[in-house]
Amino acid sequence: RGVSHPSTAHTSPWLLTADNVQYKPSLASLLGGLTTSSTFTLEQPRCVFTTLQDDVVIWLVVAVPEAIPNFNNSVGPGTPEREFQKFPTSALAYMTLNTTILNYPCPKTPGEITVLRVGSETSCAEDNTRPTCNGPLPGPGPYQVKFLALEGSNPVAETAWSDPIVLRTAQPLSSIPTTGSRYSASMIALTSILSILFAILLGVLVAVLVFWGSNACGGSSSFSKPEAVMVQRYNTHHVYDRTAARL
Amino acid sequence: MAKSDDGMRILQGLLVFGNVVIGMCGIALTAECIFFVTDPHGLYSLLEATENDDIYAAAWIGIFVGFALFALSILGIIGVLKSNRTLLLVYIILMLITYAFEMASCITAATQRDFLTPNLFLKQMLERYNKSDTDNNNDKWMTEGVTKTWDKLMLQNHCCGVRGPSDWQEYTSAFRIRHKDADYPWPHNCCVMDAQGSPVNLDGCKLGVPGYYNSNGCYDAISGPMNTQAWGVAWFGFAILCWTFCVLLGTMFYWSRIEY
Repeated sequence: RGVSHPSTAHTSPWLLTADNVQYKPSLASLLGGLTTSSTFTLEQPRCVFTTLQDDVVIWLVVAVPEAIPNFNNSVGPGTPEREFQKFPTSALAYMTLNTTILNYPCPKTPGEITVLRVGSETSCAEDNTRPTCNGPLPGPGPYQVKFLALEGSNPVAETAWSDPIVLRTAQPLSSIPTTGSRYSASMIALTSILSILFAILLGVLVAVLVFWGSNACGGSSSFSKPEAVMVQRYNTHHVYDRTAARL
Repeated sequence: MAKSDDGMRILQGLLVFGNVVIGMCGIALTAECIFFVTDPHGLYSLLEATENDDIYAAAWIGIFVGFALFALSILGIIGVLKSNRTLLLVYIILMLITYAFEMASCITAATQRDFLTPNLFLKQMLERYNKSDTDNNNDKWMTEGVTKTWDKLMLQNHCCGVRGPSDWQEYTSAFRIRHKDADYPWPHNCCVMDAQGSPVNLDGCKLGVPGYYNSNGCYDAISGPMNTQAWGVAWFGFAILCWTFCVLLGTMFYWSRIEY
């Protein structure tokens, strides 16, 4: 996709000419792990560098936005100004993921996922002997990247700078709210219905016990004690009558 | 006299039938609660770590209540058939005590169900999964339980996190303290595994390529069995109690009409 156009000669002595390729590096798409808190994933620059020879090395430059206005393409990778281990404190940019054009064949095989994961090498992150380590990024950013092609130590082609890439920040887990358990309607219904039924049962039991315990005029149920008293009275009355009759 | 005698006989028959149903439901309740207590889905460790496993207490109560209902229903049948006032009074009082216990079990199960929200499990997972430094033995036990349960859950149900793998990215966690973000954006158990138990494509899993990692959350796999348990204990118990209410009312009425 890149069309290289003739570059204008710069007057400043330290800026060597490099073809500016019309390509802006972008994040890949359709991936769940697109940005994490220390890595991000770019699309590979396929069919971007069209006029490069096989021995040209393509580097990925990762920089903080402050480094972009005065960025010097001819500062070599691995020098203290471009050391990953010193990023972003004393080195405002670093270079990593070096490869040749052979690893970015054109055209792209359809259906193939061609990505570059920036920040995946954790083993060399603290290793000062590996200044071009593709180590995990130290903070959430923002960062801007571009691809730079070097022949030996001369820059021959570069892409445009990407849009600022911001990484994820993890919230503290104490911020997760676990209170606020509202009582559901079904639980309230269940509790109230059961309580009412239980109260009714207790009430009926008490009423039945009280009813049985008293001598109140009842229904058809016949009780033993009152019956015995009545029979006694009747007998007394009858004896009294008989004696009265004899007299 | 004959009419009320017939009426009493019908009431007797109904009460015997009611007690038979109570007995069978008691056995069913015992069986159901034993099933829940055995924890077939292996989720008990998660509840234990929330320090609020009352749903299991409700199931335990259900086991004993079910058995008590069965025994009392037999007593009730004997009491009704013999028209014995003492037996029936004992039956009514013991049934009321059992009723109270079962009521407690139902209400506990229903209330605890409302307590188990996604955020609760999310916070617990982030706090305990793969935690390296534990304070005491109890903490260590709970941490190991939670870690094992989550590993098993993620492997068997092909899921990751509570809402998804982004849980591990959005919040800090004990897992993140132990493992670097670049090596483990999410646990390796979130990756699609091959037959030997290792990830099919670890790089694809780290990148989040669809097909190499589990992108859906495990909350459904947790809440499904717990809902079943809570509703099984609560609403089946509620149904039994409604039926028992009717039978007890009938028994009390029958008791008051027994000729001494």
